[in-house]
Amino acid sequence: MNDIADMTIWRFALSYLLLLAVLAVMKKCRIDRTRLLVVASARMTVQLVIAGLALTYIFRHPHPLFTILYLLAMTAFAIHRVLSRCPGVNRRFKIAIALSLAAAGLGTVFFFVGAAVGASPLNPRYMIPLSGMIMGNAMTGVTLGMKSFHESVEAGREKIAALLDLGVEPDRILLPFANSALETAILPTLNSMLGMGIVALPGMMTGQILSGTLPTTAILYQISILIAISAVVCLATFSSLHFGYKTLYNNRKQITGM
Amino acid sequence: MTAPILSTENVVFADLIRYPDIEIQAEKTTFVSGDSGTGKSTLLRLFNNIHAASSGIVRYRGANVLEYDPVALRREALLAGQSVFLFDLPIRDNFREFYAYRDLAPPAEGDIRRHLDLCHADFPLDADCATLSGGERQRVFLALALSFAPAVLMLDEPTSALDHDTASALFANLTGFAKERGMTIVAVTHNPPLAEAYADFTVTLPNGKTEAAE
Repeated sequence: MNDIADMTIWRFALSYLLLLAVLAVMKKCRIDRTRLLVVASARMTVQLVIAGLALTYIFRHPHPLFTILYLLAMTAFAIHRVLSRCPGVNRRFKIAIALSLAAAGLGTVFFFVGAAVGASPLNPRYMIPLSGMIMGNAMTGVTLGMKSFHESVEAGREKIAALLDLGVEPDRILLPFANSALETAILPTLNSMLGMGIVALPGMMTGQILSGTLPTTAILYQISILIAISAVVCLATFSSLHFGYKTLYNNRKQITGM
Repeated sequence: MTAPILSTENVVFADLIRYPDIEIQAEKTTFVSGDSGTGKSTLLRLFNNIHAASSGIVRYRGANVLEYDPVALRREALLAGQSVFLFDLPIRDNFREFYAYRDLAPPAEGDIRRHLDLCHADFPLDADCATLSGGERQRVFLALALSFAPAVLMLDEPTSALDHDTASALFANLTGFAKERGMTIVAVTHNPPLAEAYADFTVTLPNGKTEAAE
């Protein structure tokens, strides 16, 4: 586990030299994003250093409270990120999204860590990295699903109005929009499985191999986390959209919009 | 005079449009006119409860529309709206799609043909709606709405993309069909000659919004 080459601070600093290459290309091609490059690399460095220090502390003093607080903060952050990317969505729809993300995300995390990995759900060494991967993917999936749903409903205004005028149940009108948005949201996850292990080794497996884990063990983790990710993307998006689209009409079957 | 099939009483919409009390007679053809912004399209959607009145009462067959199941009401007082929507499919499949949305078995070809002919839409059933012109689409859409055989057929600018002769021939057919079947027609249109020729009654919505609450 500890036979990984320890990076000295000087060798580590060398990797920043690669940024100079990026800078040179950007200058040459007149891409005016120098500031962004500097800010992004600096923020990335600071954020990860803080995360590294915090995790070191937590692993040295493992306390269930830390794990729980971390999970709560991460869930809240994921919800906040998704909601901030779908402005103009009504309040009940937002509640549906928040509850769906929390329930599907945390449910998958506990099932995966507790049952599949077989670690204690309060063990930070498993819980923190794995829940991050699961929640992060759930967040991306729901955001994509909502974006697709919002756009297709906007583009389908005439269709929706015509069907409503002709006496079609709002549920019948809106359900196909929710279903096709769900399809859009899960496709990237499914497609990513197709090329897995051929072009590049996925991140978690790479990390485990670098730290000395047997590749045969690493693939078991990798395969099961990919399955957990596709499940959480599907469940969180399904639940957000299917409870959410029902908030677009009232009990008089009047479609009140997003 | 018999009881009206649709009526409004002190209806205000969104605190913006104040309607005079309106009565629509059953089994007659009523034209609704008025300048733009006077709430003609909104009136039709108040009748079928797609919009809610902010105050006042809308009645269908003497009862408040709020007492009806809204979807059942919309099937009885059917609206063919201003923006024509058709699937990019052949005419036959459009009927099939719309009927599926209404949970109805697809209509027989003969029925589709009959309604298309009534609306002067003599196109082959396998003509792709995506390639039809605006006026052609309007007539196909109208035929579709008519084929649901509602008690009240509400039309919003049904002839906006048609030349006068076609519009006139269409209304001759529609009003004839309505008399035969005891169907009520409410048509919003900007076409005075058409109204003169085919309307049993006309309603003109007054200009001027509600004077800010005084």
